[in-house]
Amino acid sequence: MKEDEQWERQLRAVLANDYEPDEKLNKHLIDRMRERKQMKPLRKKRWSAALVTASMLLILSVSAYAATQLYTAPQIAENAGDRLLAEAFASDDALRLEESVVSGDYRFTLHGLVTGAGISDLSQGSEKGYPDRTYAIVSIAKADGSMMPNPRDIEPAEYQESFFVSPLIQGVKPWQANIVTMNGSYTEQVIDGVIYRIIDCDQIEMFADRGAVMAVSSGGPFYSNDAFHYDEATGVVEARSDYSGAAALFDLPLDPSKADPAQAEAYLNELLQPSAEQTGDDEASELPVVVETLRAQLHTAQPIEGIIPESVAEVTYDEKGNIHYSYEDYTAIIPLDELFEEGQTGYSLRYSVSGSDEGYTALLFHRDAQGVITGRIAKLGLE
Amino acid sequence: MDIEELADLIAQHGKAIYGFCWKLAGNPVDADDLYQETFLRAVEGRHTLDKTRNPKAYLIAIAVGLHRNHRRKLAWRQKIAPVSRLADQDESQPWAISPHTPEDAALSREQQALLLHAAHQLKDKLRLPLYMYYTAELSVEEIASALRIPQGTVKSRLHKARQLLRKAMEVGSGT
Repeated sequence: MKEDEQWERQLRAVLANDYEPDEKLNKHLIDRMRERKQMKPLRKKRWSAALVTASMLLILSVSAYAATQLYTAPQIAENAGDRLLAEAFASDDALRLEESVVSGDYRFTLHGLVTGAGISDLSQGSEKGYPDRTYAIVSIAKADGSMMPNPRDIEPAEYQESFFVSPLIQGVKPWQANIVTMNGSYTEQVIDGVIYRIIDCDQIEMFADRGAVMAVSSGGPFYSNDAFHYDEATGVVEARSDYSGAAALFDLPLDPSKADPAQAEAYLNELLQPSAEQTGDDEASELPVVVETLRAQLHTAQPIEGIIPESVAEVTYDEKGNIHYSYEDYTAIIPLDELFEEGQTGYSLRYSVSGSDEGYTALLFHRDAQGVITGRIAKLGLE
Repeated sequence: MDIEELADLIAQHGKAIYGFCWKLAGNPVDADDLYQETFLRAVEGRHTLDKTRNPKAYLIAIAVGLHRNHRRKLAWRQKIAPVSRLADQDESQPWAISPHTPEDAALSREQQALLLHAAHQLKDKLRLPLYMYYTAELSVEEIASALRIPQGTVKSRLHKARQLLRKAMEVGSGT
């Protein structure tokens, strides 16, 4: 015991903090903080790290009505500190839509859409050589008038709903062509309890002759077959009426004269048949393979390989009946009935996949014959 | 939170945060970057920094997140710096040559350097709770909350880290 105490003292002595920031560093830091405080705190978000597939709750009481008491597209862009984009949304080239749909717990409003090159202060042309970008603004409000939480005001571990907002092209499989695969990104701000999301991606006007829609769904930041149905025979995508979350589609009245079938064809060929070089470093293109493989394994009750043994842990429950699971950086809070049907055993068909430099991992839930539910993390391999 | 409050926060917790960043980064350049980015993230941040709710643990959690996110990009110069810093250490620093008790005198400067080096070589899984506990002086509960792992896991990782360090010291000193 004495030896342990001595070792503890030695550790404390050697590992104790003996550095401190110098005054210049702190002054510089305060100056930088002051600068940032004066700037709009928006950051672009891109999809390269995580993918979530979902099933979910309730649905659709769809009704459309004009948006009221919401900001307009130019105002939102202006507030985001993007004057160029504000001007673009105010120009004659922009589509001013201001259409709303109530679905589930949310009211989604498509404010406007505009396409062009260099029309945003935050503009960064596609790496694949498509300088024109399409920008759109969608707001998300609580249908009951309550406030959407501002991410700044909630703790990291608290549950926060996430949304998928993306244009989809009629006649093209939506899981293949959406904001994630079309070099998209978004910025988001919460004003007066309403989320305003500015999205951008490779331009979609070239698809004007095919038709396009703006899809919005809750339950995750990625396209979900649970939220939408794509009819491969007709090429039409629809919001699922049996989706347990919120899902809505807005028709995009693109100008047919701006359609460019040749460019659209070339773009889709590139998108749907990526070169070997692209597949090497394009995480988005790898994700469907990972997900499809996992999905097939789960649906056919095949054993899942790559489970991290230490991650297997029985879940806990809160008073609302939500399941809680955490392992290192993974945290999940999910209603039980979203994971398993009554009497269902084995793996839940709901899972999440995330990626990092070290590869892809899946968060899975399993229920045994005794009803014990465990969470676990599996490292996924690419076929 | 205004700038003055943030300046207070720096005054109160700057040293602890910086020391933690230093240990984690292993060199002053990256430590400065991580330190600044931690406070900047807190300012612009996604979450409210409530002074009444343990801002030190909150800031350390931000630093850990930044470290994890950027560990590949920042290319920490970790293997050399702790030892070279030790060699430069002013001998008036109390821990360097003035141990708290006679027993602690058993650790020579070389052994201290060896221990620091061994600690720095630990995987993040063990290194983060180690520095959070001994350098930032967070409690097991605070570490568990920041890393979002059970307290028992924090304890077992600390135990494992201590064991590995002791073993490294034994090997390093030829005992």
